[in-house]
Amino acid sequence: MTFSFEIITPEKIVFKEEVNEVIVPTASGQITILPHHINLLTQIAEGEIIVKNGAKEQYLAVTGGFLEVSKNKVSLLADYAVRSEEIEIAKAEAAQKRAEKLMQEKVSERDFAIAETEFKRSLLELKVASRRRRKL
Amino acid sequence: MASILILKRRITAAQNVSKTTKAMQMIAASKMKRAQDATLASRPYVQSLTALSAQLAKYTGSDETSHPYLKQRSLTNKTLVIVLSPDKGLCGGLITNLLREFLRYGKTQQNVAFITVGKKLEMQVTHQKKEIIASFVFGNTTPTFDMVFPVTRIIENYYLSGKVDNVKIIGTHFTSIFTQTPKITTILPLQVPQEEKEEAKNPYIFEPDQKTLMTPLLNHYLEMAVYQHFLESFVSEQAARMISMQNATDNANSIIEDLKLEYNKTRQAKITNEILDITGANTM
Repeated sequence: MTFSFEIITPEKIVFKEEVNEVIVPTASGQITILPHHINLLTQIAEGEIIVKNGAKEQYLAVTGGFLEVSKNKVSLLADYAVRSEEIEIAKAEAAQKRAEKLMQEKVSERDFAIAETEFKRSLLELKVASRRRRKL
Repeated sequence: MASILILKRRITAAQNVSKTTKAMQMIAASKMKRAQDATLASRPYVQSLTALSAQLAKYTGSDETSHPYLKQRSLTNKTLVIVLSPDKGLCGGLITNLLREFLRYGKTQQNVAFITVGKKLEMQVTHQKKEIIASFVFGNTTPTFDMVFPVTRIIENYYLSGKVDNVKIIGTHFTSIFTQTPKITTILPLQVPQEEKEEAKNPYIFEPDQKTLMTPLLNHYLEMAVYQHFLESFVSEQAARMISMQNATDNANSIIEDLKLEYNKTRQAKITNEILDITGANTM
């Protein structure tokens, strides 16, 4: 049994496939969605999404958004999402360092918030990417 | 002699015009490419987000505790209209079409306040002596998300405090490079699709609960919906400018060709006349 799962971000449609199982981080904790899940509307926290399709597992990093389950169709509207195989480790590390440096300098509140988001995102990306490497 | 000089001058002038319009066309083309990617990429996101928010409205719309963004109401019957237009002209019929739509709307509605983004229609709104709450410049680069916040803050203020009952946006919808249509869209309150209202059978679970979910979702909807309109209007402007500048370049080139032909003819005629003069003088 499968259901369709799609992740849409303002930049592109990151993921669109028929899958068996999805594990997502929500505001009130991690949940697993199986086929024919009851209709659900929830807020997504930042973290890692695990998509299972048979024996195949895929990982994605997400920074937040909304999840809707309706009629065996799951759509996730994410602010930002990236597949683990598309994460460039070197780039993420560089972004993390840059953001860290910016946060230590005395910058305006707005710049600090931007740097902090960047920092969190790169940290998350690295986490998701390293997990995939361990699996291989 | 004089006419040759004048022709030469006119050729140079036409060449300069062609160079300028060609450059403007290229600039518009490169800006449009980037904006087009952004606009088309975020369209499905905004569409799903709107559908999702409307879904929420379907279940809670009539509820007393429901969010004001979802409720149809008539406290003041006043409408807040956000007018999106380019800052600069030279973009074909885009502004005229937009203006026609705006005037048609203005004729039927009296109780309206405006927020203008972009100078072109701002002038018109001022001219009509309408109430303007705020005006912003549209800018000539792809709109950034930051531009949206001042606008949405005003919308929030006016809507939540009950000063206005509707919020609409007049902008240009980007259909293709060759077609852009002016459009009025209602942003608030959220429109619930009528035919879907019937089959509201399957209940939803809301986690953590409806109320905590509603505010961030609806705020996000408002921001994204406004931003999408910004993008659509910007890409339309650039596409329209690219096409109109391309036409201008083509026109200039055809004028140059005509003038060159005329110039050569005159020059040839002059030479022939001179030769005739010399041979005529010899035979005498």
